[in-house]
Formats: sequence, structure tokens, C-alpha cells
Amino acid sequence: MSVANIEPLDTLVHNIRQKRGEDVSLSDVVRLAEISTETFQAFFQAMNSAVLREMREIADYITAMRSEIGRLQAHDIRTARIPAAGRELDAVVKATEAATNCIMSCAEAVMAAEATDAAAYKTAVDEKMLVIFEACSFQDITGQRVAKVVETLEHIEARVSAFAAAVRTQDIAGALTDEEQQRAERKLRLLLHGPQLEGVGIAQPEVDSLLSSDKSNGNNSQSDIDALFA
Amino acid sequence: MQQRKYGLVISDWNMEPMTGYELLKEVRGLPALSKTPFIMVTAESKTENVIAAKKAGVNNYIIKPFNAQTLKTKIEAVFAE
Repeated sequence: MSVANIEPLDTLVHNIRQKRGEDVSLSDVVRLAEISTETFQAFFQAMNSAVLREMREIADYITAMRSEIGRLQAHDIRTARIPAAGRELDAVVKATEAATNCIMSCAEAVMAAEATDAAAYKTAVDEKMLVIFEACSFQDITGQRVAKVVETLEHIEARVSAFAAAVRTQDIAGALTDEEQQRAERKLRLLLHGPQLEGVGIAQPEVDSLLSSDKSNGNNSQSDIDALFA
Repeated sequence: MQQRKYGLVISDWNMEPMTGYELLKEVRGLPALSKTPFIMVTAESKTENVIAAKKAGVNNYIIKPFNAQTLKTKIEAVFAE
């Protein structure tokens, strides 16, 4: 922004001050007004250009933001993809439950089968084994359903990452809803970690060791606990 | 719970509305059940879970997946104590 030239103004003000004690003439006042207007016109023009440029940049940013939000496809994610993923997971649970019930029924039938007639027993067992093999095919379909859910999660992750990168935003610590906060606190308080991946949780022998340490007074052996963290 | 006698409690950890951990503490808090054998059968396999259960008075702790023999052995061990 160019700085307004205030030299003519300075000169006029100096001259008027020199006339201290005398009446200020109308022409001096008019001249003062003219010079003031000319002097600040440049200033205001420069300021208008700067403000205009800023406003344009803000407008461009808002336009870009709207475009990025559109690319996020939040509506599609919320109304289509996530409900679909939920339905797939429901189907996985149902299929797993059905297969488990079928397998257990077959196992119970085999265990209850009369074994006195060996040939009949073998026929009955073979028949149930075939049913079990068929039931185990649930894994094929559930695997495909889970793959669809993973694809949805990857889609969401890609969109959100692209959006976060475009708007150059960073995570705000503690940005949980009240419900999320309560759930997180409950999980922490009640040690609700859920199943662990292989190599992360401890196995039965370590559990037995931990429980058997210093059983006489019910205290935990610190060395046993330390060993588990080694 | 207070109106019946129980010889043994076998409980999961991850349950709603009350978790097995809360159940354990509640059972140990009832005079009639404070000595009742309690076995936790759970997928919770972190050390802090085992320690917390032990401090709360669990008699045994079985990690899922488990087999019938393990359950039988743990039950026998609890009653042998």
C-alpha cells in the first residue's frame, strides 16, 4: 500500500501556524480541505485495494472449502455407505451365529448317537460331518462382507484425510462429544479393552503364573508382574 | 443374587449393563457370596485385567478361546483350594 504524500499538508499547516494571532482566511480553510482530501484519497484507494484483495482471498478460500466439503461426500457417507456397512456387519453376525448353532447341533447329535451299530453310527457321523463342512462355508461369505466394510472404512479414511490436508487442519485435543467422553471413561474405568491381536495380550500360562504368585497372602509378586512387562 | 446360594460363578468380562468385573466386585461385597468361587472367562487378555481381577478376588481367570479341558481343570483347581 502506497503511503499518502502529506508534504503539501505539512506545509499548509506550518503556514497557518505562522499566522498565529491572525484570523485564518477562508481560502486557507478551503485549501486545507482540498489538500486533506487529495492526501488521503491515495491512502483510502490503497486501503480499498488491500481490503478488496483480502475479501477476494477469503471468497476464494470459502469457494475452495465448499468444493472440498463437496468432495468429502459426507451426505453419501452418512446416508448410504455407513448404513450399508452396518447391514453387512449385521449379516456377518447372523451368519456366524447360524453356522455356530448348526455346528454345535451336529456335534451334539454325534455325541448323542447310538454307537452299538457301527455301520449306522458311521453313516450318522458322516452325515453330520458333511453338514458341519457346509456350515463352515459361512467364512467365505462373511469374509467378503467384512471386505466390503473395510472398503467403506478406507473410502471414508481417504476422503477425510484429503479434506484435512486441503484445509490444513490439525486435530483438536479433547474434541469428543459428551457421549463419547462417557464411553471412553467407562472403558478406562472398567478395563474394557476387548480382544487383543496376537502378541499383544498375554496367554493362559502367563495368566496362571500371575494368579499363582504368592497365593498364600493374596499379594501379587512384583517380579512376576515385572517379568510380564519385560 | 442375594436370595440364592451359588456354588460357583463363571462369568465373562464384557457384558452389559454390568461387566463381569463389576459383578465380581459386587459378589465379593455380599457376605453370603464373598467366598463363592468365581472364575472369569474372557477375551480380556491384558495384564492389568488379570491383576485387577485378582485384586478384586477372582479365583481363576481363563482367556478365550478356551477348551473344555481347560475349563474343567480350572474348576477342579478352584474347588481343590
